[in-house]
Amino acid sequence: MKRIPKILFFIVAILILAFSFTSIFGVTYYVGDNKETVVKGITDIRWGTDIRGGVEATFEPANDYNATDEQLEAAKSIIEVRMVSSGITDYELYADNNTDRIIVRFPWKEDEKDFDVEKAIEEISSTAELTFRPGNSYAKTSIGSDGEYVYQTPTGDTETVLMDGSAVKKAQAGIDSSAQSSNNKSNYVVSLELNDEGAKTFADITEKYTSQVVSIWMDDVMLSAPTIQEKISGGKAQISGDFTAEEATKLADRINAGALPFKLETVTYGSISASLGENSLVAMGYAGIIAFCLIIVFMIFMYRLPGFIACIALTGQMGITIAAISGYFPVFNSFTMTLPGIAGLILSIGMGVDANVITSERIIEEMRSGRTLDGALDRGTKSSLTAIIDGNMTIVIVALILLLVFGPFNVLSFIFGQSTTGTIYSFGYTLLMGVISNFIMGVGLSRVMLRAVAGYKWARHKWLFGGAKDGK
Amino acid sequence: MANKITKQSYEEKLLVRGKKAKGFYEHRKVFFVISLAIILIGIVCNFIFGTTLDIQFSGGSMIKYSYTGKLNDKELKTLVQNKTPDDVVTFSDSQDLVNNKNILTVQFSGTDTISTDLQKSITTSIQEKFPDNNFKLEQSSSVDATMGFSFLLKCIAAVALAGVLMVLYVTIRFKKIGGLSAGVFGLVALFHDLAIIYFFYVIFRMPIDSSFMAVALMLLGYSLNDTVVVYDRVREERKNLGYKADIKDIFNVASTKVMRRTIITSITTIAAVTTVYVTAIFFNLDSVKAFALPMIVGLVSGCYSSLCIAGPLWVSWKKRSKEEK
Repeated sequence: MKRIPKILFFIVAILILAFSFTSIFGVTYYVGDNKETVVKGITDIRWGTDIRGGVEATFEPANDYNATDEQLEAAKSIIEVRMVSSGITDYELYADNNTDRIIVRFPWKEDEKDFDVEKAIEEISSTAELTFRPGNSYAKTSIGSDGEYVYQTPTGDTETVLMDGSAVKKAQAGIDSSAQSSNNKSNYVVSLELNDEGAKTFADITEKYTSQVVSIWMDDVMLSAPTIQEKISGGKAQISGDFTAEEATKLADRINAGALPFKLETVTYGSISASLGENSLVAMGYAGIIAFCLIIVFMIFMYRLPGFIACIALTGQMGITIAAISGYFPVFNSFTMTLPGIAGLILSIGMGVDANVITSERIIEEMRSGRTLDGALDRGTKSSLTAIIDGNMTIVIVALILLLVFGPFNVLSFIFGQSTTGTIYSFGYTLLMGVISNFIMGVGLSRVMLRAVAGYKWARHKWLFGGAKDGK
Repeated sequence: MANKITKQSYEEKLLVRGKKAKGFYEHRKVFFVISLAIILIGIVCNFIFGTTLDIQFSGGSMIKYSYTGKLNDKELKTLVQNKTPDDVVTFSDSQDLVNNKNILTVQFSGTDTISTDLQKSITTSIQEKFPDNNFKLEQSSSVDATMGFSFLLKCIAAVALAGVLMVLYVTIRFKKIGGLSAGVFGLVALFHDLAIIYFFYVIFRMPIDSSFMAVALMLLGYSLNDTVVVYDRVREERKNLGYKADIKDIFNVASTKVMRRTIITSITTIAAVTTVYVTAIFFNLDSVKAFALPMIVGLVSGCYSSLCIAGPLWVSWKKRSKEEK
């Protein structure tokens, strides 16, 4: 057997435990009363609405109205504005163009007290009120959940409504070709088209407020505050500014939302109150700790030293999986964890146990057939490898299919439409991460530790590796 | 040090730890009868009880309230029923031991969703009529029938896709022992496990819901993983026993050697899931309970089917195709 430095056992074990410790508990320090998070831990995991409590709802245009893709986007943008301005960060929002459905899922606000589902659903799906108002005075500024300022509640002159969304025929984002800017950047603009009546009103407004600001609002939130350059009588206007393509599209969608010819109707909805959610979190925590202790006791009882090493590897596997969920590595976004996600975690731990059991059993078998300790370790780790790899690959296939079908790629959505069940996606994700970390820990590092520890004299007893008591 | 071992005779090679290998193949009829009996009972129950689809798939509405103290059942039922004359409303009671609360589940019969207005009016009138019971809305769900059905179809499509890919993988990896037949019988074992789980839901009259879907998806990986580990050992023992050896002997030796691993892994995993299940009972978490119990059944069935169903079936197939030649 190729010898590897024995000290590697302690180096690898300590590195694994240190990594797992930081990924489970996170690294934070306090500056005065402010908690600064250096590394995210288990408490930073975003919990899904089924655990933390929240609301899930699906909307579609009322009276079977057949909405165009743009209209659906506009309707979606209404919900987006409302989510952002009320400071809800972890909302999920999809629009499915095939079935004309909008799906939203969001957690309760932290200070939420009455958990009024019906009110929450009504609030986010009610028809958007688009208004044009003089000036741009607002009473409240806050920072929305997208990190940008939100200007709320018109005051003073701005309280007057000059024109509402019914005057708008269409808004569209585009590139202004006539005014090539000096720095050769494309100028993104939003072109506004008004209906006949709107055109007349707008001509009057633009005449009266030339060189002044007329702001555009959705509900209580200011969308844009352009300055009127001249009187516009043809019913066609252009809002220009320092837009990026994305900003221009967003503004156009929001203006269109004020002119939607349909109301949103609730197709399905569901809610879980936060107390029930918190309860399940505590329960899962207990279950996890007890189950892990059981596994540790059982593995050490059955396999002694390899069992102990397996437990270190399993801790590492948990560490990596939690890191992949909490956003420990800045390159990976944090992931919403749901109850099926926890089930995926359990299954992947089972796979981790399996990898170590197969190897340890093989080592015992080889020792029984009369091999020396080194020979048994060598043969045992080698011959168990194919079983572990083939077994884990079948799990990888399942996890990938689930991710593709129920995840953002939605590979089957052209047949079945976008699904609401992100929970199955969460199962696939944790399972895949679990299996990958099992390859790193259960297959890779636990073997390194096994070989390294066999270099120590105190460890060179067959009994310690599961053999008979008298064996040396 | 392999060269120190003296050459074993064929009979000696068939011994596992000095004992004769267990006759998994010889006992195949017993295994098949056990499995067929369970499936038969399931089919009979299916005819008697029918299958209940959860509102997630069939469409419909459910509201869950928590309350404290004793409740006047009758009054409450008439109150809710009068609100929706078109639907038949069913009630079920359960207890939350940890928070010392009672949970009342109200289910509406139609496959349509109830409006948010109706839900609100039911909640307010219950709260007004029974102010001493501290009624609180804990959970509600309301699903449109067409949406639920398309989700069910999507799940089935995902299962089919994953099944085909896994057979393909086994076919390629186990070419030496006739990969395609091995893959197909691995799939048979998987369907066996799925059938057991399905009939478990039917016999205990649990509605087919997302927990069923999740357990089925888990089995998809777990069941075949178990079978693959057995095949892997067959592949190895075939080398050891020589290519002329009887396939039934190879299988018996391989299964006997792999059995300890299968049992130990299953016990560990089942212990972990049982912990989750017991915790869920204690905390009254329906979603977890509904998930963990079938998962335990699936784990048992998964390790049983690879040793007692997939393997013996595959050996019979192999023997047969050899005779035909």
